[in-house]
Amino acid sequence: MEFGPIWRASLRNKTGPILMALQIALTLAVIVNAVFIIKQRIDKITRPTGMDVDNIVTVQSFGFGEDFNLQESVPQDLAELEAIPGVLAVTSSQHVPLSGSGWGTELAGSSEDGAPRVNGAQYFVNADAVNAFGVKLESGRAFTAEDVEYPESFGVPISQVIMTRAYLDALFPEGGAQAGATVYDKLGNPVTVIGVLDTMHGAWVGWDELENVMLVPRVMPVESNYYIVRAEPGERDRVMPQVEQTLLATNDRRVVKSLRTHSEIRDSSYQGDRGMAVVLAVVVSLMVMVTGVGIVGLASFAVRQRIKQIGTRRAVGARRQDILRYFMVENWMITTAGVMLGSVLTIAVNYWMVASFELERLDPLYVPAGVLALWLLGLLGVAGPARKASAISPAIATRTV
Amino acid sequence: MLEMHHISKVYRTDTVETHALRDFSLRVEEGEFVAVTGPSGSGKTTFLNIAGMLEDFTSGTYRLDAEDVSDLGDDARSRIRNEKIGFIFQSFNLIPDLNVFDNVDVPLRYRGFTGAERRRRIEEAVELVGLTSRMRHLPSQLSGGQQQRVAIARALAGAPRFLLADEPTGNLDSEMADGVMALLEDINSAGTTIVMVTHDADLAGRAPRNVQVLDGWVQDTTQAIDSPVASQAPAELAVVGS
Ligand SMILES: Nc1ncnc2c1ncn2[C@@H]1O[C@H](COP(=O)(O)OP(=O)(O)O)[C@@H](O)[C@H]1O
Ligand SMILES: [Mg+2]
Repeated sequence: MEFGPIWRASLRNKTGPILMALQIALTLAVIVNAVFIIKQRIDKITRPTGMDVDNIVTVQSFGFGEDFNLQESVPQDLAELEAIPGVLAVTSSQHVPLSGSGWGTELAGSSEDGAPRVNGAQYFVNADAVNAFGVKLESGRAFTAEDVEYPESFGVPISQVIMTRAYLDALFPEGGAQAGATVYDKLGNPVTVIGVLDTMHGAWVGWDELENVMLVPRVMPVESNYYIVRAEPGERDRVMPQVEQTLLATNDRRVVKSLRTHSEIRDSSYQGDRGMAVVLAVVVSLMVMVTGVGIVGLASFAVRQRIKQIGTRRAVGARRQDILRYFMVENWMITTAGVMLGSVLTIAVNYWMVASFELERLDPLYVPAGVLALWLLGLLGVAGPARKASAISPAIATRTV
Repeated sequence: MLEMHHISKVYRTDTVETHALRDFSLRVEEGEFVAVTGPSGSGKTTFLNIAGMLEDFTSGTYRLDAEDVSDLGDDARSRIRNEKIGFIFQSFNLIPDLNVFDNVDVPLRYRGFTGAERRRRIEEAVELVGLTSRMRHLPSQLSGGQQQRVAIARALAGAPRFLLADEPTGNLDSEMADGVMALLEDINSAGTTIVMVTHDADLAGRAPRNVQVLDGWVQDTTQAIDSPVASQAPAELAVVGS
């Protein structure tokens, strides 16, 4: 292999190769970091919510008029909604998980003063909530109709809840807390955890404590609430219009609005993440394309400039494959210089992003994967020009001045 | 060692056919020094390219070292060019980005010699052409005559049996041309067969045998170029040939 002369020759025409190597370095840094971010966003979007999102329909009931009473309306509404064929379970809920709006709460694992408080999302729900959300009970029990309270004011303390394992563990960092544990509200009132959920996502998908969720069996004295209607698999779209009709038929002193599928709600909450992933994917594609075109361009230029030299090499004994290899090796050296510099740059960019945007540290395996990808891009880019070069006739040696 | 029988070469483009060689027959024996002359466009370079297997011919037979070359594949031709033939070009054809050492090294690398063997051959060949002190110079740092001597060193380093030169002095002033010619004469007397295309009547006259090519035909003559044949023949033969 003729690394020596190729290297020495390229030192005499270094501007093009150096610019190319820099472009490759930059490309590596951008695509590796971008792909890493894309991967994180995709992981975020596709992480399990704990709920049967794909089969759920949600709808808001908005009462008006003096004599509308939500607390009276809810039991009737639930009974009518449950009666719709294809409906698996229904609960009332003050808000819809993953929607971006909800109520937060603060609990502590101990009644002592100064005990650390942990934030979570709370949902005021009905007896069949576990089924209606399709969440999995890890231990303890679900609510019954007797558990559900209809308080006349906001101040009535909560006595029993179901919460996620994540929330329970956050309240008891030493671990091992089980159903039956007692937690404390802001005023120090004890609350019994009667059931523990595997996983359930709360309101705000960008929030770190998304998995801190608590269900409270209660219908609040307000005008508006949501219904979470879980359909049997495949029945959701058929059930959907009937949900609206049923609610209007049950009680006409209200507006029924925001009839949406839960997956639509989830998707719109993740729109920013998806948008980011798409934008970055476009940037990565463009970068790869521009660099690929650059590699092709530089290699074609190198070939065009050296037509006579190639003919001469052929005349003095180079086989076609020797010419092919010459350009492959030359290109490989440029790409390799680029990816070596690029690897350092990639890690530097990641450090900077970790420091400035609190991004996660790059998984180091992404760097060699990116290097491989660019090597491959280099090979693909140079293949055409190198083949053209290898097809140059040795007769060129005597036919060009 | 070189035997061409009834070689013809036709260049075809969309609109024209050029008969660069027609019924071209020539024998060159081992150890000969043959000067090929003829007017511009008469087919000298075409002949040399075919002799050196740089291009195919349209019909006829060509034997090099008693081997019929028309059936050889591209790689086999490359190998023969590399091992048996040395080329010298009018415009030197040195690789501008490589120094003298690396230029002479080019064919040796394709030959697959070891580093030590290549170095030995390069040093020997460069010494033969008298440029040992310029080993690390780039072509652009050398005069035309020196560049052509580097090209000769490149052609000789592989110890070919057969040297093909297309107007080797065409780009040199007469003093430099003389030096290059002297070098070729030395090489020939050491046993290498040489076929040299030239415009220069004086130089052709120094070769033991002259071949004239006229409009794709060959006129074999050992007479001095200043004989009446040379000055009269072109017109006659051009008529015959066209
Ligand atoms: N590649 C080519 N395509 C078409 N015609 C060519 C080509 N090469 C040479 N010719 C023609 O063939 C003839 C012989 O050319 P050449 O062998 O180069 O002549 P010389 O070397 O004697 O000047 C000329 O008419 C030339 O124009
Ligand atoms: Mg010519």
